[in-house]
Amino acid sequence: MSSHHPSWPVPPRRAPARATPPADYSGAVSVAPVEVERPDLDEVTLPDVPWVTIVWNDPVNLMSYVTYVFQTYFGYSKEKATKLMLDVHREGRAVVSNGSRDEMERDTQAMHEYGLWATFQKDE
Amino acid sequence: MSGSFTRARGGRVKVRLGEPDRAVIAGLLEAVSGMLDPEEGAGDLEEADVGDDVAPEPGDEDAPELGDDEAVLAELEADLTASPPADPAIARLLPDASRDDPDLAQSFRRLTEHELRDHKRTALELAASALRRPGSVVLDDSEAQALLKGLTDVRLVLAERLGIQTDEDAEFLHAALAAGAGDGDQAWSQAAGLYDVVTFLQEDLVHTLTP
Repeated sequence: MSSHHPSWPVPPRRAPARATPPADYSGAVSVAPVEVERPDLDEVTLPDVPWVTIVWNDPVNLMSYVTYVFQTYFGYSKEKATKLMLDVHREGRAVVSNGSRDEMERDTQAMHEYGLWATFQKDE
Repeated sequence: MSGSFTRARGGRVKVRLGEPDRAVIAGLLEAVSGMLDPEEGAGDLEEADVGDDVAPEPGDEDAPELGDDEAVLAELEADLTASPPADPAIARLLPDASRDDPDLAQSFRRLTEHELRDHKRTALELAASALRRPGSVVLDDSEAQALLKGLTDVRLVLAERLGIQTDEDAEFLHAALAAGAGDGDQAWSQAAGLYDVVTFLQEDLVHTLTP
């Protein structure tokens, strides 16, 4: 990341528009009769598997800009946005949001619109 | 270059650059928009800057003069394969959404790349046309946001052309420019100088947009 100036305080411009991720899956699981073949694990997709959006460091985007994007798009506080920006800068990557796969796809796309390099994946 | 943007009433942003400087920035924004045009195929920023009748690079299978039908087919095929763009600068503007799962990256690209290209081109063109307005230019919020994103894309392309791969490269370039390096390489000096100017402009714009 590139730093011409240190970052400065920015209050969030708007609250995050995303819905809260669903709470832990607690649906009842019916016991399968013995003669029924159990489905492959792959096919049993729990609706609440958390996904994450990761932003990667790059040598071009300004530290002030990255902080601004985190505050503007996610609605994060200046402190949280700055911490995430520094994590990206120092660790090479940072998880910037989590939620459903759809939400993480939206966040990834939004980061690409801002010129940040983001990826999404299942939370490890 | 500091003070190139100031806050105006109603959250708008006044551009304190002369028309010649604004025209240079608008030209860069338009060049990157042209690179992102799927009809144009992969282009070089310098070539896009020059404009018409760009000779295809050897080995560039997408560029040869195809008939309309063939071009459409080629584009369809490109959509279907959904591989990352061959030009590394465009690939950086339209990056893979996964680093370790090629299938995920490919399916995401197939679903979203078109929309991302459109979003970027709309922002680049909106910012460029605002900067090309005669007289004094005051940006509304959507124009200011478009310019902020557009300057990012211009910097990403210039950085790729300049071979900036690491944080150290970026610092070296800044220091080398300050020390007057690159005098022997006109193209490098010009691109590096533009990169530096656009960087300062963006820093200034972020600062100005920060309430």
